[in-house]
Amino acid sequence: MRNVGIVGIGYTPVFVSKRKDVNISEMISEAVEAAFSNTGLGPKDIDAVVFGNMHTFEGVNLPHLWAADYIASLGKPLMRIATGGTTGMSAFHAGYYHIASGLHDVVMVVTYEKQSEGDSQVGLMGIITPEVMAMIAAGIDVTGGSGMGAIGGGSAGGISFQASSYLHHSGAGIEHIDEQAALERRNAAKNPYAHLKDPDATAEKVAQTPLVSWPIRFGHICPTSDGATVAILASEKAAARITEKAAWVHAVANCASDATTANLIESQITDPAEHLPAIIASRQAYERAGIADPKKEIDYVEIYNGFAHQALMYLEKIGMCEVGEAHKLQEAGELEMSGRMPVNASGGVVSTNAIGTSAMNRVTECALQILGQAGEHQVEKDVHKAVAHGWGGMMQYVTITVLGDKPKKD
Amino acid sequence: MEETRVVQGTWDISTFKFRIEGVGLRRMLDGMKEGKLVGTRCHKCGTVYLPGPFYCRKCHIEINEPTEVSDHGEIMTYTIGYADVRGNPLDEPRIAPVVKLDGCDSWIMGVLQGVKPEDVHVGMRVKVQWAEERTGSLQDMAYYVPE
Ligand SMILES: [Zn+2]
Repeated sequence: MRNVGIVGIGYTPVFVSKRKDVNISEMISEAVEAAFSNTGLGPKDIDAVVFGNMHTFEGVNLPHLWAADYIASLGKPLMRIATGGTTGMSAFHAGYYHIASGLHDVVMVVTYEKQSEGDSQVGLMGIITPEVMAMIAAGIDVTGGSGMGAIGGGSAGGISFQASSYLHHSGAGIEHIDEQAALERRNAAKNPYAHLKDPDATAEKVAQTPLVSWPIRFGHICPTSDGATVAILASEKAAARITEKAAWVHAVANCASDATTANLIESQITDPAEHLPAIIASRQAYERAGIADPKKEIDYVEIYNGFAHQALMYLEKIGMCEVGEAHKLQEAGELEMSGRMPVNASGGVVSTNAIGTSAMNRVTECALQILGQAGEHQVEKDVHKAVAHGWGGMMQYVTITVLGDKPKKD
Repeated sequence: MEETRVVQGTWDISTFKFRIEGVGLRRMLDGMKEGKLVGTRCHKCGTVYLPGPFYCRKCHIEINEPTEVSDHGEIMTYTIGYADVRGNPLDEPRIAPVVKLDGCDSWIMGVLQGVKPEDVHVGMRVKVQWAEERTGSLQDMAYYVPE
């Protein structure tokens, strides 16, 4: 396998609730242009394009073909990837495979979501429709009044079971979820590409937001954002022509398990907080990257946390600390930008969620930290190696990417 | 409502025929008519599922061995809802546990009654409260109550 480096990153100028001044293709083109101007590359330099966004969220079936003119893909290989919340990182992985395999030298990965143009709840409903229809046929009360119809609304309903189990097994309290949300909204205030920013966020302020489904409060939940992210990947040889400094892929991995929660008909057997896919994928990635002890060797972490507790929970799952330790690291200030194990200096998904970009941004934010280009949200410690985590599918799918500041040695 | 246009419509869900309702669910619904919970056991690894899938999720082999499981069990995780599916506040918070029934390895959701939200906890023992008239529907398992 050939080494692959990230040689360019482009974001839309802002990630906000509603971009009314541009349509989907126009918005995507802003990120493409940013990536081109950051690298000095142009359409002629791109060998192939990978495109990613959520299925059905904007009601546009083939956005990659509509946007073909705007993503420099005319006359070139183009594919679209959609794996749920993980879409952005799956698209990144596809770009990686294109180059690592030797097929192409320079690949552009384009991800976006323009949630204001669709109905995310309808999109999420599409994910569980077969389950719900089968439940209705079997006589379930889906309004949740009695029997087994205890499904909450959307992923907040399902995820509350995960948060509840995580609190039980870790010894953390709801106040740690409040603080994690506050910490990341404070970080977001330093990131020009973050959506929900609050430089004065505190756990006390978050605790005043209403409970949606215990222990998940409104203040723990991600926004719906409009935005696009582009990454340009290159082989070692091509990267040398383009830039002096790249962030290098050391490993990619992904893993799925049974659909956690709401999966009544097929018999759910997994603890929604056990999250075996995160454990399996991260261990595979570390092995491929030659990392024996991630706690010591990884300097920076980006976790996909649509809900604030997930930053803490996944730190434990991906081996960055022991079970029950994440909230103690938080108490000690180690998860902050100035800490020993900074996480989500970008503000995380809990601050910004243009879903197609969200798992991709975990990778690009790790790259910016490695390149020392994160600006005001650059962490204090030196970052040589970083791990990016994506979460999605029907809640049971995880992607992992390990990056380093040098090409991986064989 | 300048920003949102509301389009009225209906969705005929009776046209959805999912084969997901397999032998395991039918077995469970038939058993419920008699107040029994019948799952499916893997003949190789012994894992018991309710309702039973047609294959073992651990061994990836076809399974079809009926096994009765208890209507008593333990709360593995739970949430407390404060609003209905339309977002309207509920008069009483609704406790929704996920329960591991005795003799069963899979977990099953439900509604818990007869306990205050502040008293519910992981590990709490509960039992199924059966509906008075059972018809072979998931509604037969009306709700859980403390053991
Ligand atoms: Zn088995």
